[in-house]
Amino acid sequence: MKAAAIQKAHPLEAPAGPLRHRIVWHCRHNPKRELWLAWWTLVAFYNFFFVVFFVLTRTQPPPNPGWDTPRVVQWFRDNHIGILVGFAIMFVITGMTTMSNALIAYSMRRMSVSRAFAYSYLVLYSLSAIPGMLLMCVALTVGAFRPDRDPELIHWIYDFAFLSFVGTMGVFLIGSLVWMLAILVDKNRVFPKWFGYLNLCNGLTEIVVSPAWIFRRGVLAWNGQIAWWLDMVVFGIYTGVFIFLLRRLIQREDFGTGPLPDVAPRRSSDLVQAAQ
Amino acid sequence: MVIKFNKRLLVVWVVLASLTLSYVWIDHSAAVQGGLLRPSALVTSGVIVIALIKVRIIFREFMEVRQAPALLCRLTDAWVLLIAVVLLGSYFAGMAIR
Amino acid sequence: MTDLAETNKPAEFVPGQPDMWAFVFFETLVFTAYFGFYLFYRSQSPELFLRSQAQLDLRIGIFNTLVLLLSSWSIARCVQSARAGAYRPARRDAYLTALFGVVFLCSKVFEWARQIRMGNGFGTNDFFTYYYFLTGIHFVHLLIGFVVLGVTIYQLRSPAPGVPRSPGSRGSRQELVETCATYWHTVDFLWVLIFALLYVVR
Repeated sequence: MKAAAIQKAHPLEAPAGPLRHRIVWHCRHNPKRELWLAWWTLVAFYNFFFVVFFVLTRTQPPPNPGWDTPRVVQWFRDNHIGILVGFAIMFVITGMTTMSNALIAYSMRRMSVSRAFAYSYLVLYSLSAIPGMLLMCVALTVGAFRPDRDPELIHWIYDFAFLSFVGTMGVFLIGSLVWMLAILVDKNRVFPKWFGYLNLCNGLTEIVVSPAWIFRRGVLAWNGQIAWWLDMVVFGIYTGVFIFLLRRLIQREDFGTGPLPDVAPRRSSDLVQAAQ
Repeated sequence: MVIKFNKRLLVVWVVLASLTLSYVWIDHSAAVQGGLLRPSALVTSGVIVIALIKVRIIFREFMEVRQAPALLCRLTDAWVLLIAVVLLGSYFAGMAIR
Repeated sequence: MTDLAETNKPAEFVPGQPDMWAFVFFETLVFTAYFGFYLFYRSQSPELFLRSQAQLDLRIGIFNTLVLLLSSWSIARCVQSARAGAYRPARRDAYLTALFGVVFLCSKVFEWARQIRMGNGFGTNDFFTYYYFLTGIHFVHLLIGFVVLGVTIYQLRSPAPGVPRSPGSRGSRQELVETCATYWHTVDFLWVLIFALLYVVR
């Protein structure tokens, strides 16, 4: 009773004052602090991901699948430190993906659709990190670990790593479809319908990556213009859009079960009312 | 009312079908001229333009853009133009780089 | 919206959800990128592409195009019938669209089988890579189109006898039907472009 009365009194805006005070206030009183933590973790993770894969390890954009063995060994030698350091960072921060998946599953819980959507998405994406990212990290780290290994083995590790990363788009595809279906059927207006369709676009572009298993050169190889470059552009747009929409979701969240308001609630009392 | 609209739709289909069949004529005349198959920028450009005319007709008639707000009309026209630029541009860029 | 007879000069309206139009524009961009790559690489090795293209049968391509255009015609008719409140004819047209779609599918599979028997597979040469890739991804879009048609037919169903339709539902049902039709027309015009680029372009 008393706690509810106190909660009623707190506005959702932090009191004015020095930054430190405001941050402390948010950590202690903001009812959406876990959501914001998840969102910032998601943003931080993608930044790390970009730096590790594109800058440190230089595994994205992917090197050529058509290289012969000496050239591949050369590539490992050139990126030796980058691979070891970069993927070591990756192994430490992989746990951040759980926050990202949880936030997306939360968005589906807020929808009017069955909870099965959120749970299946969670399961799918928890498993998908393994073939979708970790296999490559492990394989390339193993390859760089002993540079004097048999070159044929190194070439094998190279193929294994990149095929597993680029070729296993299927798990992400199904996840996209689950989210798309949830968004299109949802009556709580959690996400705009065009984002549901964007999930479909993203999923379709991911299907297009599967021929990478067959081709060692050309537009459909794992570094090809269609299989990698175009897919990355679409995926980049998609990721940027959903990060933005998740932020809007958290701002609009009223912890109720009805349609999500378009405007962020101003006071905690609004949240209490919606929950009733 | 519904019958009147239907007739228009049928006419649209006949126009689209004729444009499609014109490809047979193009294909035939291109083969006859070349003897052996030969690349032809003229044929390619013509074929792409005809295809885009068909796309625009589909937009305006089947997808009812004719009766849509001006913004949608302009967007679909812009898209047709964009496709034309990309297709013809890629083709001629490729020819130039060879 | 409710006055269906006096639609001599219809007011401006966006057919279907604007969201679906966003999808149409985006997907068209992606396909245009695919086509751009195809045309660029085609002009890099014209003899190879011409030789391989000669193995395709233009007649099957023409047939497929006409069939898909017919399906667009029937779904457009369906939308107009539904708008006028004539749900029975609208449903018939939706089924007709599905039928045309199935004919296209069968024809495509038959053509693929024929090409494979002739020895032209996915990895045979660059042209056939593009051929199977473009027709394949279009095929996937067509399969999704059947799901979309299913949604359309569901929206056009007759109400249970004695159960009145809710007043607002007519507008939203019409919007859904138009949205689905927009998707189907997209599949059609993408095929028009694919056909022109694969079968006729020199």
